[in-house]
Amino acid sequence: MQDWPVRIGYFLINLTIVGLYGMLLSGIVARTLAKVQGRIGIPVYQPFIDLLKNLGKRTAVSHGAMFYLGPVFRLAGGIGTLAFVPVLYGSEMFSNFNSAGDLLLAMYFMFFGQLGMAIGAGESGHPFSAIGVARGLGQMTAYEVPFALAIIAIVVQYGSLSINDIVAAQQGGILNWTLFTNPLAVIAAMIAFLGMTGYSPFDVTMAPNEIPIGPPTEYHSSYLAMMTMNRAVFAGAKLILFMDLFFGGATNLVELVIKTWAIYMVAVVVGAAFPRFRVDQSIRFFLRYPTLIGIAAIGYTQAVLLP
Amino acid sequence: MVEALGNPLNLIIVALGVGFLLPLIERSSPALSRGLFNLTIIYQAVLPLLWLLWLVNGAAAQQIQTAGIAPPFSINLRLGLEEAFFVAGVNLASLLGAWYLGGLLRGRAAAMSVFLILSMGVDGMIMTRDLFNLFIFIEITAIATYGLLSLERNAATLTAGFKYIIATSLASTFFLLGVMLFYYLTGTLNIDGMREQIAQVQGPLGMVAMSLLVAGVVIELKPYPANGWGLDVYESAPTGIAAMVSVGVSAGALFALYKILPLIEPFLPALVVVAGTTFLASNIIGLKQNKVRRLLGYSSIAQVSLLALAMVLLTQLHREDAMPLVIGGLFLNHLLAKAGLFWLSGALQRNAVEDWRGLRANPLLLAILGLLLAALAGLPPFPGFWAKWELVMQLSAGGMVSWVALILVGSLLEAVYLFRWFGRAMSPGVQLTPAPAVAQLLPIVLAVLGLLAAGHYAADSLGLDTLWVLLPAYAGIALVSIDGLPTRPKGLITLAIVAYYAYRVVPVLEGLTGLFGLMLLGGGLLMTAAGLYRGDTRRGYYALLTMLLLSFGGLLQADTSLEFFLAWEFLTVSSYLLLCMGRDAAPYTLAYLIFSLAAAFLLLAGFGLAYAETQSIALADLANVKDGAAAVLGLLLLGFLTKAGALGVHVWLPGAYAEADDDFSAMLAAVLGKAAVFGLFLSVISLGLKGGGSDVVMYLLSWIGLLTAFFGALMAIFQEDLKKMLAYSSMGQVGYMVAALATGSHLGWVAAGYLAVNHLLFKGLLFLVAAGIILRVGQREMYKMGGLIHNMPVSFFGMLIAIIALSGVPPLTGFGGKWLMLNALLEKGWYWQTGLAFFASAVAFLYLFRMIHTVFLGQRKRIHKDLRDAPLALLIPQLLLVFVILALSVQPNWLVNPIAAIMASHLPQTLVMHGSLMQSGLGYWDGFLVINVVGAVFMVPLLMLLVLSRFMRVQRVKQFNIVFAAERPESPETTHYAYDFYSFYDRALGFLVLPRATAFWNGVAEWSHSMGTGLRIFYTGNGQTYALYILLYVVTLYFAVGGPS
Amino acid sequence: MIELPLSTITLGTGFGLLLIGLWGMLVRKNIIRMVIGFSLIDTGIHMIMVSLGYIRGGTAPIIDAAVDRATALTAVVDPVPSALVLTAIVIGLGITAVMLAYAVQIHTHKKTLSIDDCTDSKW
Repeated sequence: MQDWPVRIGYFLINLTIVGLYGMLLSGIVARTLAKVQGRIGIPVYQPFIDLLKNLGKRTAVSHGAMFYLGPVFRLAGGIGTLAFVPVLYGSEMFSNFNSAGDLLLAMYFMFFGQLGMAIGAGESGHPFSAIGVARGLGQMTAYEVPFALAIIAIVVQYGSLSINDIVAAQQGGILNWTLFTNPLAVIAAMIAFLGMTGYSPFDVTMAPNEIPIGPPTEYHSSYLAMMTMNRAVFAGAKLILFMDLFFGGATNLVELVIKTWAIYMVAVVVGAAFPRFRVDQSIRFFLRYPTLIGIAAIGYTQAVLLP
Repeated sequence: MVEALGNPLNLIIVALGVGFLLPLIERSSPALSRGLFNLTIIYQAVLPLLWLLWLVNGAAAQQIQTAGIAPPFSINLRLGLEEAFFVAGVNLASLLGAWYLGGLLRGRAAAMSVFLILSMGVDGMIMTRDLFNLFIFIEITAIATYGLLSLERNAATLTAGFKYIIATSLASTFFLLGVMLFYYLTGTLNIDGMREQIAQVQGPLGMVAMSLLVAGVVIELKPYPANGWGLDVYESAPTGIAAMVSVGVSAGALFALYKILPLIEPFLPALVVVAGTTFLASNIIGLKQNKVRRLLGYSSIAQVSLLALAMVLLTQLHREDAMPLVIGGLFLNHLLAKAGLFWLSGALQRNAVEDWRGLRANPLLLAILGLLLAALAGLPPFPGFWAKWELVMQLSAGGMVSWVALILVGSLLEAVYLFRWFGRAMSPGVQLTPAPAVAQLLPIVLAVLGLLAAGHYAADSLGLDTLWVLLPAYAGIALVSIDGLPTRPKGLITLAIVAYYAYRVVPVLEGLTGLFGLMLLGGGLLMTAAGLYRGDTRRGYYALLTMLLLSFGGLLQADTSLEFFLAWEFLTVSSYLLLCMGRDAAPYTLAYLIFSLAAAFLLLAGFGLAYAETQSIALADLANVKDGAAAVLGLLLLGFLTKAGALGVHVWLPGAYAEADDDFSAMLAAVLGKAAVFGLFLSVISLGLKGGGSDVVMYLLSWIGLLTAFFGALMAIFQEDLKKMLAYSSMGQVGYMVAALATGSHLGWVAAGYLAVNHLLFKGLLFLVAAGIILRVGQREMYKMGGLIHNMPVSFFGMLIAIIALSGVPPLTGFGGKWLMLNALLEKGWYWQTGLAFFASAVAFLYLFRMIHTVFLGQRKRIHKDLRDAPLALLIPQLLLVFVILALSVQPNWLVNPIAAIMASHLPQTLVMHGSLMQSGLGYWDGFLVINVVGAVFMVPLLMLLVLSRFMRVQRVKQFNIVFAAERPESPETTHYAYDFYSFYDRALGFLVLPRATAFWNGVAEWSHSMGTGLRIFYTGNGQTYALYILLYVVTLYFAVGGPS
Repeated sequence: MIELPLSTITLGTGFGLLLIGLWGMLVRKNIIRMVIGFSLIDTGIHMIMVSLGYIRGGTAPIIDAAVDRATALTAVVDPVPSALVLTAIVIGLGITAVMLAYAVQIHTHKKTLSIDDCTDSKW
C-alpha cells in the first residue's frame, strides 16, 4: 500500500480520465441520437463548451442551504461511486479506494448523490422537482430488483462480493466473461441498466425533451455545471462497474473505452428505438420479465454453474 | 372459653342460632339485632381465618364429630387446610358483601338472618364429610339464596329467581337420589366410608348412582348449555346477592365436587369435557354481551368451570400438590375480583357497557375497575396469574397440550370482553351518576387490596424473590400516590428512580442481556427525558412509565421462564395503559391488548412445552429441549413476532404507534419493540440451532422477516400520516432483524444486534422529531405541512441524519447494518431472500424521501410562517442521538466489535476484524476508511461550488420565486406536491397492500362473535326449557359415560 | 300368583310419581302446576328412599329379645333411610313453600302465571 498522497493523486488522475470520457460519451450519444432522428446534431465537443459556459456564469440565486448543497451531494455521490470501483484490473494505480468496501458499498453509495440531490431539489419548492424525484425513486426501486438479482447470481457464481475477485475470475479469455458464463444474469442486469441511464423508454423522470421537469428544474449556472460533471463521472463509474461485473473488466484504458462505449450504446440504441413508458408502466415492466430473468439467473447459477 | 369460641362447629351453630334469633330481637331492638348481625358475620369471617393460620402453622386437621359418636354412626365435619381456605374465602366475601349490601339488609331482620344462613350453608357444604348432610347444606344454601333473591322485587328478579329455583331443586333432587343409591350400595353415608366401599358401586345401578350424584353437583356449577337460569340470576339479582351466588354458592358447589371426585372415578373424563366446553362457550358468548352484569355472569361461569377443569385435570394427573396454588389462586382471584366487579357495577348503577364511558374522569374508580379486570384476566401480580402459570406448566408436563390450548384461547376471549369494557371506561363521555358513597366503595377497595396481598403471597409460595420481581408493579403503585404533583417533577422522579435502577442493574448484566440492558434502559431513559417537554397534566403517566421501565429490568434479569413471563406481562399491561392515554387511541387499544396477550399466551404455551420436556423453568434449560425443540421454538417465535408486529399479525401496530402520546410512540417503536427482539434472540439462541425441525422454523422465519420488511416499507410509502408512516417503517425494520437472526450464523446475529441498536437510534430520533413537529404544527397529516426547514432547522437536521442512517446509504451507520445482513443472507445461501431484502431497502427510500420532503421541503404554508423549532427538551435528546449516530458512523467498530464478541460466545466467529476492516466470508468493509473517503470527496465539489458562487454570495429568493412555466403559482397549498405522493406506485403495486390482514382479523372477530350468537340460542329465557335442558343433560351424561352397560 | 313385595310396590309407585312430576314440570305451563309437579317428584323420591332400606320380612330395628346383635344386620329393616326421609320431607316442604311464594309474587307483578311469560332476561 502506497502513501496517502500517492493514492489520492492516482485517484485524481482516474477521476479526470473518467470525467473527460464521460463528457465525450454524452456528446457521442447526442450525435448518435440526432443521426437516428435524421438531424445533424451537435458536435461531439458541445458538452465541453456547455460546461465551460455554465462554469463561467455567476450563480446568483439560492433557495436555502440544502438547495445549495444539493449539487454538492450529487457530484460527491458520483465521485464517491467511482472511488469505490476499481477502474482497471491488476493496476495499483487504477484501483482507487476499492479497499474500503466491496460491491455492496458501491451499490449503496450510488444512492448517496441521488438522495442528497433529491433533498436539495426539494427545498427549491418547485413541484416539478418533487414529482421528478418521486418518479425517479419509484422507477429506481423497480430496476433495482432485476439488478440486485443479477448481482446475487454472480456473487453466487464467483463466491465473492469483492469486485476485484469477480474481475479476476473472468480473466483468461472472452468465454470466461459473465456475459457468456451466466447470460441470464447479464440480460437482467442490462435491462436494469436501461432504467439506470434514464434514456427512453425510461426517461419520464426527467422528460428532457418537452418540459423542464425533474430535479434540475431550479438549478442553473454552476449548479448545473456540477450536475453535468456528475452525469459524466457517475455514468463512467456505473459503466465501469458493469464492465467489471459482466464483461470481464479491463486491463488497459483502450479496452476500457471500447467496452464501456459498447455497453453504453445498448442503452442509446434501445432509447432511440422505443417510446416512453409511463412510470407505473415501467415499474410493472421491471418487476415482470426482467425480474423473472433475474430469478432464473440465480436458479441457473445454483443448479448449473455451482454443482 | 377460648376453646369454646374457637370450635369450628361454631361456624354453623352460631350462624344458625343468631339467624333464628335476629327476627325475635328485631322486635325489641333493631339496633341490637344489627349489632348482633355485624358481630356474627365478623366472627364468621375471623374464625376460619384463624384456623387457616393455625393450620398453615402446622396444626392438625380438625375432625369434628357430632353427637359424641364417631362416624359412620354420626355426621362428621372436617376442617383441614383446604376447607379452612375455602370457608375463610367465602366468609370473607360475605363479610365484605354484607358491608356492601348495608342498606339493603338494614332493618330487615329476615334478610340479615337469611344472609347469615346462606354463608353458613356454604360453610357446611365445604366442611361436611357426610353425603346426606351435604344434601341438607345444599338445600339450606339454596333456600337462603331463594330468600335473598326476593329481596328486590321486580318482574325480572322474580322470574329469574323462579327459574333458579326450578333448576336447583331439580339438581338437588337428582343429588338426593344419587346419595340414596350410594347408601344402598355401600351401606354408609360417610364419604370416607364410601371411598373404602367404592368397589361396591358398580354395575348398572352403580352407574346410575354415580351419574345422579355427578349431575346434582355439576348442574349447580352451571354447565353450558344448561345454565341459562344462572345467568338470568346474575343479570337481574341485586348485585350484592349476585356476587354471593357467583362466589359463595359456586364455591360450595365446587368444593362438593372436589369431595365426591374419588367416588365417581369413571366420570372424570366427562367432567373435563363438561368443564372445558362450559369455559370456552361462556367466554365466546361473553363476546356478544353488552350488559355488564350478565357479562360478569358469563365470566363467573367461565371461571368456575376453569376451576373445576383444573381440579379434575390435576386429579387425573395425580398432581394434588399443585392444587393449593392453582385452585387456591384461581379461587381467591375469582372470589375477590368477581365480587368486587359485581359490587362496583352496583355501586355505580351502570349496567350497559356503553354507560361506562367517561369513568376516566374519576381516576380512583377507573383504577379500581382496571385492577379488578386485570385480576380477572389473570394478569400479574394477581393470584390468577400465578395459578394459570402453574396450571399450564402442570398440564403441559402431563401432556395435556390441547387443554392448555383451550384454556389459553378461552382466557384470551375473556380478556377481550373484559377489556372492551375497560376501553369504554377509558373513552370520553359524560359522568352520568353521582360518585358512589365511600362506604360502598370500601369493600371493593379491600377486595383489591386482598387480591394484591394474595398475589404477593402466591409469588412467595413459588419461591420467587417477590419484592424484587414485583418491583415494577409496586413502584407503579407507589408513584400513583404522588400523582398529585405537577407533571415535570414527576417526570424527574421517574428519571431518578429508573436511572438509579439502571445504574444498579445494567453493570451486572453480561453479554446479550448487557447489550439489551443498555438499549432498553438507556433508550428508555432518553425517551423519558424527552417526554419532559410536556408540562400538561398526565394522570398516572409517569407511574405507568416507571412500571414499564422497571419491567425491562425484570425481563433482562429473568433466570426462569416464570420471571421472564411475569416481566413480559408487566410490559404488556403497562404499555397498554400508557397507550390508552393517547387522545384518540381508544379504537386501537383493544387490538393492541388482544395481540399482546395472544403473544404472551403463545410464550406461555411454549414455556409449558419446554417445561414438559426438561422439568425445569430455568431459561438456560431451554437449550436442553430436544424432541420438542421445533415446537417450542415455533411457539416462542410466534409470540415474539406478534409483539414485534410481523406481517400478518401487524394489524395492531400502526394504530398503536400512531395514536399513542407522541413521546410514548418513540418509546414504543424505538425501545419497547426491542424487547420483542430480545425475546427473539433468546429463543433463537437456545433453540434455533438444533437442526431438524428447528431448521425449518428458522427458514420460515427468514421469509417472515423479509416479507415483513418489504410490506412494512411498501405500506409506509402510502401513508399520509407522519406517525403511521414511521410505524410501518418500524415494522419493516424489525423484519430485517428477524431475517438476520434467522440465519443462525455469527455474522447474521451480529447484523441483528447492529440493526437493533441502529434502529433504536434512528427511529427514536425520527419519532422525537415527529413529536416536535406535531407539537408545533398540531397536525399529523404531512401534506398539510411543508417547507418547515426554514423554521425548524435543527429538527430537519435530525431527520436528515436519521433517514440517511435508516436508508443504508454509506457513510452513516445504516450501511453497516445492510452490509452485515446481506452478507449473512448470502453466506447462508438464501438468495431469494437477499433479493427481497434489496427490494425492500430500495422501497424504503420512497417513504424516506416523501417524509422529509413533504414535511420540511417544498412550499411552506402561510400559517406556519412564525413557527419555532421544537423545544429544547426535545432537541437535546435528538442531538444526543445524532451525535451517537455520527460517532458510530466514524467508528463502526465501537459497535460491531462488542456485538461480535457477544455473539462469539454463542457461535463460532465468522466475522473477522483487521483493525477497522471487517471481513465476512464473501466481502469486506472498512467503515472508517469509507467515511474518510466520502468526507474528502464531499469537500471537492463543496469547495468548487464555494469558489464558483463567490463564497455563497448568492441571493436568497422568496418562496414563490421559481421557474413555473408561464404560470404563477397560486398558493402553497396548490403548489406543494405532497398529497398522494406515490399515486403511480399505487397504480403499479397498490394491489399488494390491500388490507388483507386487517380483513382477515376482522373476519376472525366477526366469526367469533357470530359464534357467540350461535351458541347462545339455547338461552330462551324460558324456565321450562331450562328444566328440560337439565334433564337432557343428566341423561346425556349418563349415556356418554357408558350408559347401562 | 306372585306376591309383590311391599318394597317393590313403593319403589314402583315412587318412580311413577317421579315421572309424573317430571312430566308436570316440563309440560305444564302454569307455574302452580309446575310446583305441583315438583311436589310429586319430591314425594316420589321419598318413597324410593324408604323402599331402598326395606328388608322383606324384616322387623323393626330394635335390639331386644326378638333380635339379637348377631343377626341384627340381616334381620331388621334399615332405619337410616326412614330417618333421612323425614329431613328430606321438611326440606321439600320448605322449597315448595318458597316456590309458591314466588308464584304469588310473580302473579302480583306480572299478572300472569304462565312460565312462557317469564322470559324477562335471556341471553
